[in-house]
Amino acid sequence: MRMLLVEDDAEVARFVKKGLQEAGHTVEHATNGRDGLFLAASEQFDMLVLDRMLPGGVDGVRLVETLRSQGNRTPVLFLSALSAVDERVKGLKAGGDDYLTKPFAFAELLARVEALGRRPSVDAPATKLRVADLELDLLSRTVTRNAKRIDVQPREFRLLEHLMRHAGQVVTRTMLLEKVWDYHFDPQTNVIDVHVSRLRQKLDKGFDKPLIHTVRNAGYMIRAEP
Amino acid sequence: MAPSLSLGPPRLLKSAGFRFALLFAAMFASAAIALVAVLWWATAGALDRQTDAAVRADAIALAERWREAGATGLAEAIEERLAVDVENEAIYLLTEAEGGRRLAGNLDRWPAVPAEEGAWFRTRVLHDGFAAEARLHRLELPGLRLLVGRDESEREQLRRLLTEGVFWASGAVVLFALMGAWLLRHALQARMRPVFATTAAIAGGNLGSRVALSGRGDEFDRLAQTLNTMLERIGTLMEGVRGVSDAIAHDLRTPIARARAKLEDALSEAPDEPALRATVEQGIADLDAISRIFQALLRIAEAEAGARRAAFAPLDLSLVLADAAEIYEVAAEARGQHFATDLPPQLELVGDRDLLLQAVVNLLDNAIKFTPPGGTVQLSARRVAKGIEILVADDGPGLAPDDRSHAGERFFRADKARATPGSGLGLSLVQAVAHLHAGELRLEDAVAGRTPPGLRVVLLLPSP
Amino acid sequence: MQSLLTPPALLLVLAVSATAEPRVTTDTAEYCGSLVTRLAGMPAATREPSRSLMAEGVRLCDNGHVRTGIAKLRRAMRAAQATP
Repeated sequence: MRMLLVEDDAEVARFVKKGLQEAGHTVEHATNGRDGLFLAASEQFDMLVLDRMLPGGVDGVRLVETLRSQGNRTPVLFLSALSAVDERVKGLKAGGDDYLTKPFAFAELLARVEALGRRPSVDAPATKLRVADLELDLLSRTVTRNAKRIDVQPREFRLLEHLMRHAGQVVTRTMLLEKVWDYHFDPQTNVIDVHVSRLRQKLDKGFDKPLIHTVRNAGYMIRAEP
Repeated sequence: MAPSLSLGPPRLLKSAGFRFALLFAAMFASAAIALVAVLWWATAGALDRQTDAAVRADAIALAERWREAGATGLAEAIEERLAVDVENEAIYLLTEAEGGRRLAGNLDRWPAVPAEEGAWFRTRVLHDGFAAEARLHRLELPGLRLLVGRDESEREQLRRLLTEGVFWASGAVVLFALMGAWLLRHALQARMRPVFATTAAIAGGNLGSRVALSGRGDEFDRLAQTLNTMLERIGTLMEGVRGVSDAIAHDLRTPIARARAKLEDALSEAPDEPALRATVEQGIADLDAISRIFQALLRIAEAEAGARRAAFAPLDLSLVLADAAEIYEVAAEARGQHFATDLPPQLELVGDRDLLLQAVVNLLDNAIKFTPPGGTVQLSARRVAKGIEILVADDGPGLAPDDRSHAGERFFRADKARATPGSGLGLSLVQAVAHLHAGELRLEDAVAGRTPPGLRVVLLLPSP
Repeated sequence: MQSLLTPPALLLVLAVSATAEPRVTTDTAEYCGSLVTRLAGMPAATREPSRSLMAEGVRLCDNGHVRTGIAKLRRAMRAAQATP
């Protein structure tokens, strides 16, 4: 993906740019809001990663508002040291698609960027999701593996659905909390791990090939190949 | 202080008090004008009607006299009337219709009156050497012409009197208006002065300053009260910020120092690269833990300052509790504990969904941490008279009564809890959330008399 | 009271209107005389208070205070008429 990173802190910018490039993306970098807006408006990007607070009179929120008012629908991920809930709401209201609070693990950023960049198409909603021999039927809300029915709780179904919609991508624990449980909170302990391992047991029991993989220091990924 | 903040009295024309007074003066003047108009029509009009009635009666009486005694009798009656006219206001003239010879009366000639005037008209006559207004009635008798009238100097005098009165009254109105403006302006300034003084003091950095109340309970006191409430609010917010900075100063330094020591130690002592790598990873984990503590502190401060009340919305607490139970049930089961819930189908509340969940999650996390395998963690909720009670009970060691009052303090950890991992911020946040929702936090033995007693935390949230 | 509006506006009015406006004739010394003549023909005028009022009126007229003199004489006349 071709991305625009607007970030005034040189160290953070270098770290993010390097990481994204290593993950195979092209990254343009602007150090203030004015340049960022100019670049975003004049060139074609697949994704914008914006700091919420920027020098140069145009902050992240203004930048997105301006772009959106011009009909530019490029996905936007906010990076911000402002963690308060209303700040997050402000960012999302202005037209941002996701919001990540500093400090963050790079794996978290990468996972969110890739999830945003490859959002499932809204035009033709699939009725079935498939990964290898695992099939999830969104209409009958059933899960089968190798044609064998697997019983899951409603929440486990949503957890699996989210993982499968992002098959081949890393999904972090916070992303699961936000998207599957729809809460912004600090779970204190590894409860998400417990939920995932329960789901994993149900899916992989009796099969050689595990489907849900733990990605060290990042989160989880569902994919056919180990 | 910046010159733009100078708080001297405003210039006269800019003064609100002066403008109010001008408005009142204008209204006062309008009322005075209306009063004079009514007075004029009542007095001068009545005088006119009286004059007309007298003239008409006089004319009828004279015509009667003419019918009885003829022209000579009429002339004599006129002279007689003139002779006893002490008020010196009667006007008569009797002439022959043909030739216009003057027979009686006190006018030297017939007034030049335009023919289109009716039987009643006004004209000017010379009386005592002065021009005076006269009201006259013309009467045609066979072969005679009779004029009966009254001098209306009195009406003139009344008009002059009223004109003069209005003149003086306007002067008085202006004078009173100016005095009123001055008084009003000074009264306003005197009442506003405490507000100016306080806001100036606040701007100057003295945040403890409050507006003095007059005790009258009027609009100014209400303004002062609102200002004071606002200042209290700002004070609370500042207190929250100060609390966070204190906490950072005292309690974040320790884990930072620990992480730093570990990294520095690894730099000089690590035998090989894998060991160094492991320490760096540990360092990152330590930093993450620090930033989580930081996040928790910010949340507590936000909740304590009430800054999150903006995020309040109506919600079904039962659903939030069910979600919390669903998330934590697996954690309890993974540790071999029983997890029991008792939730009513619906609990309507206005509050902050994320913070309420965080509070319950913190309680459940504590309960799970302190309950031994095989023990039970209970989450229940019920509607009570004062609102809604959320209860989280465990089979853990419980909390000594002495420690209970400290449990809500930041970073407090009971002696028995030292061995368990935790930041000591969990209950602080619960307490802050309770306060944010105007509720309270109560700690008690889960089962009194049992050893260990276990801990029951009761979070009471008043419903609106 | 009169002085308030007299000069110069009223004088102007007087000068202009002297010929056009009719004049009241019962404010002259001649009218004093005619009132005295009329009183003299009334027997009641010799009694009080008509007598003294008349005397005062005559004195005032003679001294040039025609207006007040006429007022006194008229009061004397009224008093004389009131007395049977």
